[in-house]
Amino acid sequence: MAPLNALTQVQHMLTFIWWLSLGLCILLYVILDGADLGAGIFSLFVSDEDERGAIMSAMAGTWDANETWLIVAGGVLFGTFPFVYGSLFTYLMVPLALALWGIITRAAALELRHLAEKRYQRFSDWAFGLSSLATTFFGGMAVGATLLGFPLTDVPDQVPTYVGGALRFITPFSVWTGVAAVIAVSLAGGLFVRARFEPSEPIRQHAAKWTNVAFYMALAAVAITLVVSSAIFPWVSSKWFGPHFWVWGLAGIVVVFAIVKMRLASARDHDLAAILWLNLAIAFMAVGMMATMYPWMVPGTWTIYAGATPQVSIITFTLAMAGFFPVMLMYNWYQIWVFRARITKLAAYDH
Amino acid sequence: MLENSLPVLLSRLDFAWITSFHILYPPLTIGLAVALFFFEWRWMRTNDEHWYRLTRFFEKLFIVNFGAGVATGITMEMAFGILYGPFSQAAGPFFGQVLGYETITAFMYEAGFIGLMIFGWGKINKKMHLFATFNVALSSALSAMWILVANSWMQTPTGVALKNGVFQVTDWFAAILNPDVMLGFPHMLIASFELALFFVAAVSAWFILKQRHIAMFQRPLKYAMLALIVIAPLQVYLGDGLGEVISHDQPAALASMEGHYHTYNKDGSVNTGWHVVAWPNAKGDGNAFAITIPHVLSVLETRTWSGKVPGLDSIKPQDRPPVVIPFYSFRIMVAIGMFLSLVAVWGVWLAIRGRLAVKAIAGNKWFLRTLVFSAFLPYAAVWTGWWTREIARQPWVVYGLMRTAAGVSHMSVPLELFWLVGYMAFELMVLGGAAYFIAKLIRKGPDMTSPIAHEGHQTLGHLEEPAPHEPAKPEYLRPA
Repeated sequence: MAPLNALTQVQHMLTFIWWLSLGLCILLYVILDGADLGAGIFSLFVSDEDERGAIMSAMAGTWDANETWLIVAGGVLFGTFPFVYGSLFTYLMVPLALALWGIITRAAALELRHLAEKRYQRFSDWAFGLSSLATTFFGGMAVGATLLGFPLTDVPDQVPTYVGGALRFITPFSVWTGVAAVIAVSLAGGLFVRARFEPSEPIRQHAAKWTNVAFYMALAAVAITLVVSSAIFPWVSSKWFGPHFWVWGLAGIVVVFAIVKMRLASARDHDLAAILWLNLAIAFMAVGMMATMYPWMVPGTWTIYAGATPQVSIITFTLAMAGFFPVMLMYNWYQIWVFRARITKLAAYDH
Repeated sequence: MLENSLPVLLSRLDFAWITSFHILYPPLTIGLAVALFFFEWRWMRTNDEHWYRLTRFFEKLFIVNFGAGVATGITMEMAFGILYGPFSQAAGPFFGQVLGYETITAFMYEAGFIGLMIFGWGKINKKMHLFATFNVALSSALSAMWILVANSWMQTPTGVALKNGVFQVTDWFAAILNPDVMLGFPHMLIASFELALFFVAAVSAWFILKQRHIAMFQRPLKYAMLALIVIAPLQVYLGDGLGEVISHDQPAALASMEGHYHTYNKDGSVNTGWHVVAWPNAKGDGNAFAITIPHVLSVLETRTWSGKVPGLDSIKPQDRPPVVIPFYSFRIMVAIGMFLSLVAVWGVWLAIRGRLAVKAIAGNKWFLRTLVFSAFLPYAAVWTGWWTREIARQPWVVYGLMRTAAGVSHMSVPLELFWLVGYMAFELMVLGGAAYFIAKLIRKGPDMTSPIAHEGHQTLGHLEEPAPHEPAKPEYLRPA
């Protein structure tokens, strides 16, 4: 292992910032595609065909760009943390494959629904809803399994890699994180639907009820996850109940504040504000989670420095950070802006 | 031998399946984006409605194809780590970086503009829309460049040193501009253009055969033929150049592509024979039968009458690639390349004689039928070309440096079958869906009645109010 840690001080720094940007990519993916996935799960409970179609067309212009943040996260992981990428993904083969099949089905349903005849549309609506559910659940399971860590080989002159069972990822905790992910995106999806439909549309009332239920379930899910994590992960409890406990407490207060603001905004039909407050809460929780995990990337298995390529370089880093990332953020924003308008259910593709 | 154990073979099949079913879509995306840019640009310059209708019609086909490409493409990026974990770790410092650039510069870049291109009609102004189309074309070509840089490096891994089980880059320029990519990337890019041009020509030919919108579809057909008279022979020329690179840098791969077992004949003279068809014998140390033309191999590879070409017997037995698939895939690809060049010549000959004019074009029934048939051939050429390239590199994953068996993840056979069966189901579903809906859209024909999209009215700096009195204003100009 020693030679893999042979990073210079500059590289240490760069690795750290790459790790932050990886976190940013995953966060953006969760925020942007989470809403799409949640709207997909919500569509399973929508009986009006035109409304289901309209949910799909509400994300038609942006789902692809939203999902691309996942691809970018994968690219940063492979490019900067190849040792983690090559072992973690082998460990997560089954949940990743299942989530990927969900992503494939979802993309096909989104792109092909409006071309299909009525009777196939019902089929593609089911495919869309169920694949949104599967992607979320198995994605959540993969996150939980990552937090639990995995064993590595120890062969001289070879990078440590994963040799273990394909089903090791199935644990009560990872099943729980899968369920929690479904609850969390359900909330985001409800808010998304409310924000994207004309105020007079009945689906907004439907989504309001959905959001109410999802809200309380999400509160419970977060609380349970926090309690369980601090109970089973020593790297969690040592940070949260350590000498800097008040920092975590402050972060918690900010999250609670954002959640309250989200509820108030939602109740007043300030849908965009509600989404932004929710996103702020998610962002704070994500930062808190990364800070809790530091320096681990996969707790107990890979630290961010051991998992990084020994060739992190200032040139590629600058190119990516100063060049590509700002441009990407700009046009992603421009695109969301262009497609921000509210729609009616008549915006279902075939009308 | 470890190489031929079932888990290794299955892991190769797992990867071969997902790559084969992904590469069906990106070439059309890359090539058709350029065609869309051309149509839209002609519309803006001439204000001729036909160009607008063509743009919108081919754009609908483009969207279905693009969606299928995204659906099958996301898996690709994860699959390196899942199926080839140790390879991903060892090659990560170079290979992972390059794929990382691909996602950042190309994938994200493309996704950022494609939504605007598809749904931006009537929402953004015309110039902005043309700019979006241009960026889709540019970014998809960039994407192909990075992918080919990564793959070519696996063929000719220059600029790296193996330290502690990791390929450390010693010279970035040598690694990125490796010998294989200089022709490998152009060969793939031109393949994409050729595939898309034949696609456009075939769709147009089908409409003309059906006597529908002849005046409109005569144009793309004629322009496609004019482009193909350059593109199709250029592709053959680039392929020949790439063959020379392979004969120089990957002698084992070349020997397997040509079924060339013996460097020397039994009498000690140089073996210069090129096999038209051949089948290896049971022992795998020679051909059981072959139809052979003397001197052709030497001329092709060394540009001399009797130059020496190293045969498989000059390669250690454990380093020899399989022969049958590379040999026949290679021949099918070459035959398709030649045939398509002839089709292009036929088309231009007809054009010169004035037979592709609006009034005369529908009379060339056999030419039009050949064009419809020719749309499928570039797909077969892309598949066989990639199979040749990947299988002839075996047993190496990084040629000469890392064996495939050392790069594969530790997976059980049931797990590999789980992957294979699942992807068979899902990717055949995607292929079936894409093919069915592309055919349906073509049968339905272009939309000639919807109003032409005008300049957009998108004003920046206006944040919508949540007030309930706001009218339902966004009228969506969707692809019907």
